[in-house]
Amino acid sequence: MKLSAKFLIYNFLSKGVLLMVFLISGPYLIEFLAVNNTDRLLQEKKEEVIAIIEQDGIERFISEENRDIGYGSYNLLKEEYILIERVNFLYASDTIFVEQRILDETSVSYRVLASTFLAEDEVYLMEIGRSLETIQDFKEIVFRIFVSVILIFLILSFLLDYRFSQRIMAPFHLIVGKKLSSIKEPQQFVHDKIVTNTEEFETLDLAISAMMRRIQKAFNQERIFISHASHELKTPISILQSKVEAMFGSEEIDHVQMEKLVDMQGTISHMKKTVNALLLISKVNNAQFIKTESVKCNELLAELFEDWEGIAKDKSIDLKLDQNPPYVLKNTNQSLLLMMVRNAISNAIKYTPRGGCIRVFGELMEGKYTIVVSDTGFGIPDEILKQVKEGLVFLKDAEKDKSGFGMQLMFKIAVYLNVDLKIQNTEKGTRIEFAFPIQ
Amino acid sequence: MRVLLVEDEPQLVKEIKYFLDADNYICDVASRVKEASESIAVNPYDFILLDLGLPDGDGMDLLEEIGKCKDMPSVIILTARSEVDDKIKGLQMGADDYLSKPFSLLELKARMQAILRRKSGFKKDRISINDFTIDLSAKSVHYLADEIKLTGKEFSLLQFLVINKNRVLNRFQLAEHLWGDHLDDDYQSNYIDVHIKNIRKKLGAFGSTDWLETVRGLGYKVKI
Repeated sequence: MKLSAKFLIYNFLSKGVLLMVFLISGPYLIEFLAVNNTDRLLQEKKEEVIAIIEQDGIERFISEENRDIGYGSYNLLKEEYILIERVNFLYASDTIFVEQRILDETSVSYRVLASTFLAEDEVYLMEIGRSLETIQDFKEIVFRIFVSVILIFLILSFLLDYRFSQRIMAPFHLIVGKKLSSIKEPQQFVHDKIVTNTEEFETLDLAISAMMRRIQKAFNQERIFISHASHELKTPISILQSKVEAMFGSEEIDHVQMEKLVDMQGTISHMKKTVNALLLISKVNNAQFIKTESVKCNELLAELFEDWEGIAKDKSIDLKLDQNPPYVLKNTNQSLLLMMVRNAISNAIKYTPRGGCIRVFGELMEGKYTIVVSDTGFGIPDEILKQVKEGLVFLKDAEKDKSGFGMQLMFKIAVYLNVDLKIQNTEKGTRIEFAFPIQ
Repeated sequence: MRVLLVEDEPQLVKEIKYFLDADNYICDVASRVKEASESIAVNPYDFILLDLGLPDGDGMDLLEEIGKCKDMPSVIILTARSEVDDKIKGLQMGADDYLSKPFSLLELKARMQAILRRKSGFKKDRISINDFTIDLSAKSVHYLADEIKLTGKEFSLLQFLVINKNRVLNRFQLAEHLWGDHLDDDYQSNYIDVHIKNIRKKLGAFGSTDWLETVRGLGYKVKI
């Protein structure tokens, strides 16, 4: 899972949990606040009434003749009421409670403040009530606002977190995407600094660049060594070859000596191939080939088929060129491309027993032009394939006494030409696929 | 045909000179840029075989001088360098071909003949063997009026043998001519036998191919 996604989920969940706690405790909190507020209002009302009685006397509420009846009043909507009556006890302090009252055959809950006071030497009980319906209404409104604010907050914070995480991770994606994933060989690494004000990414970028410099240096040293060593070998091999050829052309040499010379020629030929293969691998590794040519792949396959048909037939191998639609591959290198596919066909012929079958075809597979060479041969040993994929140059199949440069070259050229190369050992033999990049 | 060989490696000079002399070329030798420059200024050459890495400079510098010659000789660069840039630069500066060391002397001869054919301006270059006619320019083989279809590789092989007529060419030399020396395949010299067999089969359907000889244990020869 992406780091940015993890951050997002963490932020979302942590905020969600906190907000959930608020949501659950919200109604109780609101109720507590609403009741407290009501109690404070009731107290204020009581103070106002006491102030009026102290100023105007109890007659303002209860006249002389109604002393036994008392005073009672509801406001218009029955949300509040006040009740004053004479009693013969005195509360130690004010009492607040909830009481049900039946008004017009409807039961209404009131928050009631009961307080006793002395007026004109008599004890009066004053009850001031406020309907809990109003508290409930207030509670609901506040709760709705509360939930809406929380939801908006959650959505907004999620979007902001998302944008922020995208922005903060952008340098990391640049380092991985542009600098690491898109390159196949160390030489392709671009040392341009990634622009970021995040110190960690800056350090990572610098560390990767420093590491790649060391790797590139090691690669270059290897390339220069191989190149120099190969060139140094070329002139003596050239001398050897020309000497042998000169002797071969001489009429003074008998048949037996000639046969020895042919053997020497074989050894020289092997030395030449080894030196050239080393140099070629080194050059492909270092992208020393132009990639500006256009190749008609169907013509290339037809040409290879013509070259190898007779050889396959001689070995009683059924070499067939199946689908071969016209396709022009641009920005490539013809000689490398030819060498890569030719090595596959040559290997197939070499390792397919008599009576076997080799199919060669080119077709569009998942939008990519693909050349396939499949055979009914012995397959390639896994350990050899592994060695080649790991880029080991000096591999040796002791049993068959082969250097394995051909396979190595195939892989190196495929990497250089951005070809997706797949080699599979199937039940019937080996299948090699060269999938070319979409143009 | 006069050839200037510009090469500083004495042993290689000896062998190339011997080979060219045997083929009736008149071969002069220069081992330094200065020496070569003097020879070019004085003598009219048909071919210059030019090594690039010389003790007193780069052979590439000579190409400019060669370009100023009245009858510009054909130039084949012979070098241990195989960088693409060198090759492109050399060809752009007027060289006719580029042969990387180590090369076969027979390959050198084939390249020289190809240049001569090219420069002779599409002149028909036909070789007749009994009733077979091999047209090196048109890359075709005829038996009297009938055309015999050979594959590209088969024709190239036959052409190489014909150019080096009366000389035994072994499988390694033939394989190198056909596939260069990059193919990692020790079997390729055996493939020569297959191609020769197919050539004989195709040509044999029209007439005798006794002139295409197998020299047991050594290779093949076109005997004219």
